[in-house]
This record gives sequence, C-alpha cells and structure tokens, in this order.
Amino acid sequence: MHAQPRMVGGAPSDATRGKVVYDAHCVECHGASGKGDGPAAQTLTPRPRDFSSSKYKIRSTETGSVPTDDDLIRSVREGLAGSAMPGWQRILPDSDIADVVQYVKSLSPQFAQPPVPVTLGAGVASSPQSIARGSSAYEKLQCGKCHGSDGRGTGAVTTTFEDDWRQPLNAADLTEPWAFHGGATPRDIFLRFRTGMMGTPMPSFKDAATDAEMWDLANYVVSLARKPLWTMNGDEVAAFYKQRDADAKANPVKRGRQLVDTLGCGTCHTAVDENRRPLPGLSMAGGLLIRITPFGDFPTGNLTSDKETGLGSWTDDEIKQVITRGVLKDGTRLPPYPMDWAAYSAMGADDLSAVIAYLRSLPPVKNKVLRPSRPFLPVYLWGKFKMLILQRDPPLLFFPGNAGTAGGRS
Amino acid sequence: MKRILKWALLVVVVVAACGFMAFLYLIPPFFIAAPETFSGPIVAAAPKMDDIKDPAERAIAERGRYIALTTGCLGCHGTPGAQGFDLDKYLSGGQLFIESSGRYVSRNLTPDNETGLARRTDDEVKRVLRSGVLPDGHVAPYTAMPWANFSNWTEEDRHAVVVFLRHVKPVRHAIPDPVLKRTPVRDGAVEEGYGGVDYALRER
Repeated sequence: MHAQPRMVGGAPSDATRGKVVYDAHCVECHGASGKGDGPAAQTLTPRPRDFSSSKYKIRSTETGSVPTDDDLIRSVREGLAGSAMPGWQRILPDSDIADVVQYVKSLSPQFAQPPVPVTLGAGVASSPQSIARGSSAYEKLQCGKCHGSDGRGTGAVTTTFEDDWRQPLNAADLTEPWAFHGGATPRDIFLRFRTGMMGTPMPSFKDAATDAEMWDLANYVVSLARKPLWTMNGDEVAAFYKQRDADAKANPVKRGRQLVDTLGCGTCHTAVDENRRPLPGLSMAGGLLIRITPFGDFPTGNLTSDKETGLGSWTDDEIKQVITRGVLKDGTRLPPYPMDWAAYSAMGADDLSAVIAYLRSLPPVKNKVLRPSRPFLPVYLWGKFKMLILQRDPPLLFFPGNAGTAGGRS
Repeated sequence: MKRILKWALLVVVVVAACGFMAFLYLIPPFFIAAPETFSGPIVAAAPKMDDIKDPAERAIAERGRYIALTTGCLGCHGTPGAQGFDLDKYLSGGQLFIESSGRYVSRNLTPDNETGLARRTDDEVKRVLRSGVLPDGHVAPYTAMPWANFSNWTEEDRHAVVVFLRHVKPVRHAIPDPVLKRTPVRDGAVEEGYGGVDYALRER
C-alpha cells in the first residue's frame, strides 16, 4: 500500500510526493484539507493537529515559532504516545516521511518564517538534590493546579480543559510517562516546559523559571513515574485494579465518559455526513438511520439529557433495559445488532450506573428521532422469505444526514 | 363428498399458507424470545482465563476479557454459523463490511499461527487498536473498525485486551484481505454490513 510518487513533468517536488503519502495515510484523522477534521477526528482525545494553524505542541522552538523539520519528522516517525498518532517508521520509508513533512508545512504560510530553536544548555544530571529542587519548582510554578499535587490530578483546581479550537483535552498524568505525547526523556520533558505546548493551556515557563530549574523539574517529573501494568507482579496487579475500581466508583461521570468514549456509543448515536464526519451540534443526539433489512428502520436514539427528545425523562431502569436487554421504554424490542445489548449485558453494575451518570451529564440537544418502523407487511414477509428460504443476505445499512428525524434526509 | 374434500383441501392450503406466513413473520425470534436467550450464550462463550498460571497475567487477561466482552468485539469478529454465531469459533471473524473505500471482512483475532493474530506482534495489534493502521500501512475506516473509540482506552487497558486475545483458543480461519477500491455503497448509505454467512468462505 505504499503510495508511489506521481512523476509529472520530471521530478516532482517533495511536497507533491508528500501529498500522495498524506492522502493515503493521514486523511482519516487530519482530514483531506489538513484542518484536523477527518472522519475519525471528533472521537479522538487529543484531537488531530490542524495543519493550517501552524500551532504545534511538540517543538524544540520558541513559543510562536514553527517547529523544525526534525521535530516534525520525529513526531511522524515515532508517533505521539498517549494519542492516536502512530509511529510510521516501520511502515513508511524515511523518504516518504520527509516528503509528507514538506507537504504538511506547505499547508500553513507560517512556515515561510524560519523556526527559532531554543537553547538547551548543558542540562542538569538527575540526582536526589536535583529532584528535590524540582519538587520545589513544581510547587512554585503551581503545576499542581492542573496536574495535581501528586502529578495524577489529585487536588487539581481545574479538571476539564479545552484547546484553542475549543476541543476537550486532558492534563497529562505525570506518573504515566508511556503516555507523554512528546516523549519521556528529561530532554523531552524540559522542552515541554521551555517551549510550552501551543494551542493548549500548557504555557512556556521561559520567563517564570531558569533553565536549571526546568531541568530540575524535568528530573522530578521523571522520578514521578509509577510502575506500568506490564511489569507488575500478581499482588501489584490486584492492588492496581482494586484502586482503579475504587476511583471509578468515586467518580462515576468520569468513568462513564471513558466507557461511552471507548464503547463507541457516539459512532451510531451521532448523525454523520456523506463523508462519515459527525454533523456539528448533534453529538450523541441520535438521528443516524440504521436500516436492518428486512426488519425495518431503527433510527439511533437521542442520548442527551433533553427532556422531550432525549433521555431526560427516562428513569435509570428504563435506560438499563435498553442497554442490557434491547427493550425500549414503550416495549419495542431491538434486534441483537448493531446495538450490541448482548455484549453490554455483561457490564458490571457500577459501570452501567457510570454510563447512565455520564449520559445524564450531557447537555440537552433537541433532536426528535422517529420511532422504529417495520416495513409494509408483504414487503417484510418477502424480505424474510428472501433471507430464510432463498438464503440471500439482507444488508444492514447506515444512512447519513440525520435521516432518522422527521426533517432529515433518507 | 367431492365437495367436502375440495373444501377440506382449501382449508388445509389456507392454514398452511397462514402458518408459513406466521413462521416467516416470527423467525428469527428476536422479538418474541426473552433477550437473555441471545445474550446468555454470547456472554458465556467468552473464554475464562482461569488456566493461566501466572497470577499477574491471569488478572490482566481477566480484565482484557471483560473489556473485549463488553465492548462487543464478537459483534463484528464473530463467525456466522448455521444459527447466529458459531460460538465455538470465538472471535475468528468472517462478517462483511462495505464502505466507499472498499470491502472488509472482519479479521480472525484468535492466536492462530497461519490465519490469526499469532502472525502479528503486540505492537502491531496495539497499533490497530490505537490508530487503525494495519500492518501494510492502510488506515481502516473508523466506522467499519471503531479504532477511534478504542484509541481512548488507556495504554494499560489496551495491553490487557491484547493479553486476553493471546489466550483465546486458536481457530484456523483464513480471512481474505480487504479489497481497497472505491465502491459506491447501496442506496447512498455510508456503510453496508452483512452477517448471516461466513464471508471468509464466500469471498474467496
């Protein structure tokens, strides 16, 4: 599947070759135009980069400056841990990666200005003294306001974050270096303090701290790392999961959000356009028309807390009946697919309550979804005959355009 | 006498026709049997991880089992049998999904050496689950394979799912590679899905 460069009138420019690579591998997230609005973008936290903005988080350059080519090449080669961006180094040849970086740069006029690299200085080797100094710097610079006193959010003043595009963002858990987007070496971490992460609430500390303090801080953050699951022994794993379950129970909305995001409720319960991109303003408000031939049309329900058209007037038990048994409030039965209530029936009681707590926290969106409908009886019987006797497989169809509502297109 | 026979025959034909219609109307009994009739076997089919000796690996695989089961991996990666899923071939794939970008048959997730995930490294499996990038570099559409959702798993949850998949019973079931060519989807839909029969056999 490696895209071959198009040879049009002699050797194409790097960026021209890069566009071919980009179109083959990058559009699902970053979008055809590079604005970070591909079909999968809305589901991802953090969101994919908008290349037209030239605001890059992972840089070795001053705030306001574009990243260097090496910065971009490294992000593409190694990927960004803790995000959906994979490392492409074992998939694409280096020449393709260099080309796609040139193409990405061509999407923003800011790259006409040369990058302004920061100076790293000599660095400070890690030592108990340096880590202790880093700990003081952590307090002085009030890192705990967002990252918590322990680096994992405990006591944080702010817990929900948005980037410059008003998209949700999480503060990094500083005890999980395997999920640091820009890498986990002291140098990587120093650079995040020194350059800031443009487009996010993470500022540059260039004026608030000295280089030496930031190196100490980097050593301190490295020292916060906890043991990852894959190196734990039996007792540690048991304690870890016990703690995780207790955390989940203490914060059901957060756990519910994680479950809903990972189960993919929004993939069907959000209407999409012809290019599979979610329609703006209708997140979790249903309206995607699913035709389950020959059984009929099953528009996805509005899961927001709207009283009239959403779940606002449903009881917890009514919601549970749909999730775990496929029985709607009015008694209508759902087929076992594509709403996989058989799978959800295995969910623990706490998880189920967490999902409901999260759904109740969704801001109301008015979107009146039609009731499921069966086809005209002879059509239905003929469809069943074709399926059961003639053994022709009936398709399951997903229609774009909020087609499951009265005003929608079908 | 002849008249009575005629009438009797007519009644039999009408009753048979009505019975056939009623049979068509009600089968498969999604809408009459208790939901547990369907969910029970599916939940029970997820293999137990009790046999793993190492306690850490057992606990991690158990967690992976819970995540894989409740996320509904089987819904797409189950192998269609005569009546619903062939639950003995747990997660060995075979359903068909058509997107405008091509035709995809759900893959065999069991650790079979020749046709399953034993051919893939942990990193390769995790890359699909985190980024949708298949070993050949192709990005799977998120509506066919919801990797964009699974990318929200923590790295540790993703690890647990992979550990679980490594302990599922291997099933030999060769799945054809996706056919990547622009295809219009029926009736202007964004996706078309097919179960019912094993498309791994049919597509070859």
